[in-house]
Amino acid sequence: MTNFPVIFEQIVNGLVLGSMYALVASGLTLIWGTMKMLNFAHGELYMLGGFGLYFAVSLLHLPPWTSVPLVLAAVFILAVLLEKGLISPLLGRPDWDVSAVVATLGIGIFIQNFAFKFWGGDFQEVPYMIPGTVTSLGVTLAWHRLYILGLALAVLIAFWQGMKKTRFGLALRATAQESEAATLMGIPYRKIYTLTFSISASLAALAGTALAPIFSVNPWMGSGPLIKAFIVVILGGLGSFVGAILGGFIIGISESLSVLFLGSGWKDLICFLLLILVLVFKPAGLLGGKEW
Amino acid sequence: MLRIDNLQVYYGDAHALWDISLHVSQSEICTLVGANGGGKTTLLKAICGLLAVREGSIFFDGVDLLAVKAEERVDLGLSMCPEGRKIFPGMTVEENLAVGAYNKRVWKKKGGLLEKNYELFPKLRERRNQVSGTLSGGERQMLAIARALMSEPKLLILDEPSLGLAPKTVENVMETIKTINKTGVTILLVEQNVNISLQISQRGYVIESGRIVMHESSDVLLSSPHVKQAYLGL
Amino acid sequence: MEDYRGRQLKIFRGVNPLFMWGVFLALLLLPLVIRSEYTLSVLIICLIYGTHAASRNLMVGYAGILSFGHQAFYGLGAYFSAIITMKFQLSPWIGIPLGGFFAALLSLAIGFPCLRLRIAPYIAIATLAFSEILLVICKNWVSLTRGEMGLSGIPPLQDFSLFGLAIFTFSTGGKIPYYYTMIGIFILTMLFINFQAGSKVGLAFRAMRDEQDAAASLGVNLTRYKLTAFLTGSFFAGITGGFYAHYISILAPDAVFGIGEMVEIVAVTLMGGIGTFFGPVLGAFVLVIGLEVLRGLSDYRLMIYGAVLVILIIMMPHGLLAGLTQLLNKVKTRTAGQLRKAGS
Repeated sequence: MTNFPVIFEQIVNGLVLGSMYALVASGLTLIWGTMKMLNFAHGELYMLGGFGLYFAVSLLHLPPWTSVPLVLAAVFILAVLLEKGLISPLLGRPDWDVSAVVATLGIGIFIQNFAFKFWGGDFQEVPYMIPGTVTSLGVTLAWHRLYILGLALAVLIAFWQGMKKTRFGLALRATAQESEAATLMGIPYRKIYTLTFSISASLAALAGTALAPIFSVNPWMGSGPLIKAFIVVILGGLGSFVGAILGGFIIGISESLSVLFLGSGWKDLICFLLLILVLVFKPAGLLGGKEW
Repeated sequence: MLRIDNLQVYYGDAHALWDISLHVSQSEICTLVGANGGGKTTLLKAICGLLAVREGSIFFDGVDLLAVKAEERVDLGLSMCPEGRKIFPGMTVEENLAVGAYNKRVWKKKGGLLEKNYELFPKLRERRNQVSGTLSGGERQMLAIARALMSEPKLLILDEPSLGLAPKTVENVMETIKTINKTGVTILLVEQNVNISLQISQRGYVIESGRIVMHESSDVLLSSPHVKQAYLGL
Repeated sequence: MEDYRGRQLKIFRGVNPLFMWGVFLALLLLPLVIRSEYTLSVLIICLIYGTHAASRNLMVGYAGILSFGHQAFYGLGAYFSAIITMKFQLSPWIGIPLGGFFAALLSLAIGFPCLRLRIAPYIAIATLAFSEILLVICKNWVSLTRGEMGLSGIPPLQDFSLFGLAIFTFSTGGKIPYYYTMIGIFILTMLFINFQAGSKVGLAFRAMRDEQDAAASLGVNLTRYKLTAFLTGSFFAGITGGFYAHYISILAPDAVFGIGEMVEIVAVTLMGGIGTFFGPVLGAFVLVIGLEVLRGLSDYRLMIYGAVLVILIIMMPHGLLAGLTQLLNKVKTRTAGQLRKAGS
């Protein structure tokens, strides 16, 4: 079963899968780099993206392309409220890194079970952005998966460059490195934090809308991607967008290839083992230790 | 230009500054000196809005500063080069300077301002793409000052620029401060190095344990017996 | 006294022994006043959560290792004991301690990778990942664990008589023997924690928790003490898990390794006050009894836990007791101030 065309196909699948993970991880990278915070509610924001798309399409009968921006805007607003109400109060505290983790964990669990209680536990279907498949080099891929790949690369490259070149990106990095000096330069650091958190949430929701057609919408859809996203971010180096792409691809390809040799039940183990390896040998990650 | 009256500042519940009254006039170099822990940085933080003020007033060019948020004070033409420089270590020299011009008032003029500052600090031009975390102490100080100048301030506040620098470098820094003043920027210089700061300034305040204890022209201060004994080791 | 993080630190020379034994005595005597089997079963659950949380508190509160995977050890103890008693017809009295040792052994698998980690969120993710790995293994190794179908018919604890008193007759199906067994495990755990905290190990833990780098530079062997924390914390979680398995007689992967269990234990530890002695137990009693009383809200159970986490961390980060005391003090000073103003 392990001849070259099959392996090649799995590698391509792995790249696509990896780009999914990278897309989910992009928001985490952004938040970590600025606020030095790991958002445990990230998976649920992703889930809200999926549910949002589902509601927009099934209840409001909007086409997917219009729905997505609306969903992103809605999640953005929710995130602003969450940040201002629940996370901002914790910002000044000395044990900030721990409190933020616990708070976002609580928020995530709350949202997840809210969805289960009020929207039901059924798995809902959502239409593909682009229907149909394309075949090339002996590999057949759904257009939608290529959409995801393109989206992931676009987002990560945009942020990578945006951080370096735009006024907002500079402000973000300044706030992350020396928030007091940043204030002296006129950068409103609390507003920056709120904006960053909300953008990160929108990125999570974007990933949710992109992946929902493939994995179906349900209250628990965020938990798996969350852990994988954490692992991608650690593997690539916390705070590095380029690292997120690399990390995503590595995990994606490893998982894809492992399905060939181990079967699908055990493939989830691969990313965990990769995580343990990274933590033992290079906790800073592949591109970690650098700034972005 | 800057007028402080009867300021009371607290760190939480601890009263840190008592009855501070101080003013800085246009185009001068005014200095505030005192020993470690005397309250210099506390006062500067209050001026810049990083610390809350309980009583008293601060007016800058007629504007009530206490009604203006910390990040908006740059807009009015107030700029501080903080204690310990606090440059952005992960960014290059040029990026650091760019952040200095963040304020909308000057962002569009960034290119021109960069040029101006590179004229003033040629060493920085040499190292424009170097990551600032790798600069030497003196270079960092220059960078911090240049960064503070990027917002085209009317008043430049410098918090202990001589800290941790070799005497020759300190001289350079002070020369640069004089040059900046000549271009029309008012300077409030806060220093532990009493000797050199009194030499380049016109007026001075001495702060001890949270209170202003002396306010004279710098020449008078230099020859005052108290200052000589307490700060100049004479 | 407050440490640099502004937390209230008690100089821990061991908890007041009178207080500790008083609590133990009260718990031992409870069944004399409480006759209802239902109430006893609630209390047993409280004790299970409390001991589980206390063992986590050993790692998080005392040694400063922010673990989100502690439930893994609970699950390991539970499954190990269940499986070996069922496969090899061993007595659960042997299975449970062995489960604890097994959990401790496996704790090294995550303890070692965590050695180099300094940032709390990293440790949180690593330990969570460890628990998730075990969840995946448990669900997929069907030949051993029956996967998602779970294990049933786990043998109950075996009868024995102590000093001629036939109180440990589990075969009658009453709750009292189980209650006393769990009290035994609880007391054992708390005595150990007390002993450890007051010893050289405890001192090293506190140094590690508060300022790792300083501790290392003073010669504290971080490796040794971090691993000790993992070994001891996991052991007690393991035996608690073992008890749970033989008490409930059924096991499912998500019940012990899942996020639900994780959140509940984090909430319990937080509510009781991290780093306090009886805190975790107090938190367990409050949350378990609270949710029992509000049984109508059982649909919202995890939502409540989530909200509790957020409210606690924002308003009462040092636990319920500390938070209420602070609130009381604020009210006191405010009314005193108002009285003064009114008087002057």
